[in-house]
Amino acid sequence: MYHLDGTEFLEKKYYRKTWSICPECLQRIAAEIVEEDDQIWMKKNCPDHGDFKDKLSSSAKYYKWTHYGNKDWGFEKNGEANPPDCAASDPRGCPTNCGLCDEHLSACSLALIDLTNRCNFNCNFCYANILQSGYLIQPSLEEIERIMDHFRNKPLPAVSIMFTGGEPTIRKDFAEICKMAKDKGFKEVIAATNGYGFQKKKGGLEWTKKVYEAGLDTLYLQFDGINNVTYEKTRGIKNLMAYKMRAIENCRKAGLSSINLVATIVNGVNDKEIGNIIQFCIDNIDVIRGITFQPVSLCGRISAEEMNDLRITNADVIKEVERQTGGKIAMDSAWYPLTTVVEFGRLVAYLAEVDPVEFTCHPDCGFATYLVIDPKTNEMVPITDYLDPIEIVDFANKFWERVKIKEKKPISIFSSLLGDFGKTLDKGLTFLDKTQMKARFLIGMLQYTKKPGKLMEMFSRVLLNADWESISSFTHGTLLISSMHFQDAYNMDIERTKRCIVHFGVAMPDGTVCEIPFCTMNSLHRPEIEKLVAKKITAKMKNEFDTTTGLETTEVEPEIARNGGIPKED
Amino acid sequence: MTEEEFKVKELVELNTNAGEEFQEAMLHRVEYFAKKNADNSVFNNIIQNTLIKSLGTILDLKVKVDNAIGEENLKKVHDFLDEILLFGL
Repeated sequence: MYHLDGTEFLEKKYYRKTWSICPECLQRIAAEIVEEDDQIWMKKNCPDHGDFKDKLSSSAKYYKWTHYGNKDWGFEKNGEANPPDCAASDPRGCPTNCGLCDEHLSACSLALIDLTNRCNFNCNFCYANILQSGYLIQPSLEEIERIMDHFRNKPLPAVSIMFTGGEPTIRKDFAEICKMAKDKGFKEVIAATNGYGFQKKKGGLEWTKKVYEAGLDTLYLQFDGINNVTYEKTRGIKNLMAYKMRAIENCRKAGLSSINLVATIVNGVNDKEIGNIIQFCIDNIDVIRGITFQPVSLCGRISAEEMNDLRITNADVIKEVERQTGGKIAMDSAWYPLTTVVEFGRLVAYLAEVDPVEFTCHPDCGFATYLVIDPKTNEMVPITDYLDPIEIVDFANKFWERVKIKEKKPISIFSSLLGDFGKTLDKGLTFLDKTQMKARFLIGMLQYTKKPGKLMEMFSRVLLNADWESISSFTHGTLLISSMHFQDAYNMDIERTKRCIVHFGVAMPDGTVCEIPFCTMNSLHRPEIEKLVAKKITAKMKNEFDTTTGLETTEVEPEIARNGGIPKED
Repeated sequence: MTEEEFKVKELVELNTNAGEEFQEAMLHRVEYFAKKNADNSVFNNIIQNTLIKSLGTILDLKVKVDNAIGEENLKKVHDFLDEILLFGL
């Protein structure tokens, strides 16, 4: 499947220059991306803090596959950015001018709001925790509304929103916030959660029903493995599987059938759990829509030895998936960078007259594959068994190249001559033109399908409608497996940062909203931004919730607090 | 729990005993939208439903033909179809 097979690209050593930051002083410094020992490395030097070297990919071939184009297209895409929110005033350039400045190359697809830095867990690596910061971050409803308006009122509005934290479901007004997001027009409302609100023994099911009815679509459920011992290592909490199972069961009973498991993978800690997690998804396929593996990003200062021990890349995760699934989800054939579908998405959206979702991030940001069930064998197989992605994308790209001009210049033959009647005629011509294009596109796509069935019928609906109903139903017939590697100060590549499509929104004290790409927020800007919006933990707040666990004081006993708010008998 | 007790599933087949639920999850979603959005739902569009059902039959036939003509001929058919479908755009 490698479109570079047999080409000179694979023989050439990879090399490019970029910019990064010093992991010590966080100043912008030059960096080189080089190929050594069939792996890809970032090398950089800070005049004050010396040399740094970090692995970007454990497979040079895979990296080159995603960076070199062929057949008139590649995986590096040009996005369309919204107008900047701030001028790039700092001469050092990206990533020091976030806010969002005019160097950014992509619009936001997924908006993030930190609802609180309170949490019932106290994971030692977490960057957004009240215990480590010593202050409260918790925007008011008015501030949250301001952030939502910021993302929705842009020329290219964000279509999805994710509530993060801390633990967002700790907020008593969480259902109200979900409803607000739906009312503002976000198609997909997501909670990044450890499962707290959903898993409560008393009232958990009612609470789950309430937030689902209010507008919550999907849980990004923290899920490090199926063994309690794994959670003891990653979260320092005992008996956590029962907690996770209660959250999943309550979602099942409430009809909330869109759970995406999120597993932060740390080398030597839970990398053995990858196959377990995939099997767990398959066994709970009625409510689990996908799994996102996140190779750990290393925040804070660590030694080079520690970094080498812990570092795991997207390529490592993909290799492990192949190994732990007995080769069924193969690295060479099942996975594609998220950017693969950019032109395909634009074309489908244009034909169906809906806003496109632009995945114009960097090819290094993430990879994905779909698993679907073969009804004859009852076995999950990669979707590449059902259709030929390279041929489909190739056809869609050629198609889009020919018709994209029509998006900018719609048919206008009679409007200027015949007034309103002319407009009606032009509308009729546009309808006919789009109908014939839809027919051509549909035939073009379906010629590359390899198997029939209900799933392919739903795929046809996605092609025809590009609407939320069809897309959502299609995802209910598949299992999405992805690997997303967020950057840290050691491996930050400014070329990636400029293309980020996942942006935090922060309501600033001056009434503005600061929009910051995910990786720069966590690696660079968070401490300074939080100082501006932090609230002191007052005596009144201490009475309202336990600052050790983030729980309401009425809900937690001191001995339970030491185990993340979970009674040990669980 | 000791390392020995750590559960690791060596997956040699991605078989599922939840295959039926999996098939039904997508169909339940269709029913959900058809009911919730009534006339505004694409799943209640009779013309589209008929078209999609016909496509299902056509796809079934197409796959049989693909298998019959062999890989090399299929490639030629795809190239020819691409030319026609992109012509005049």
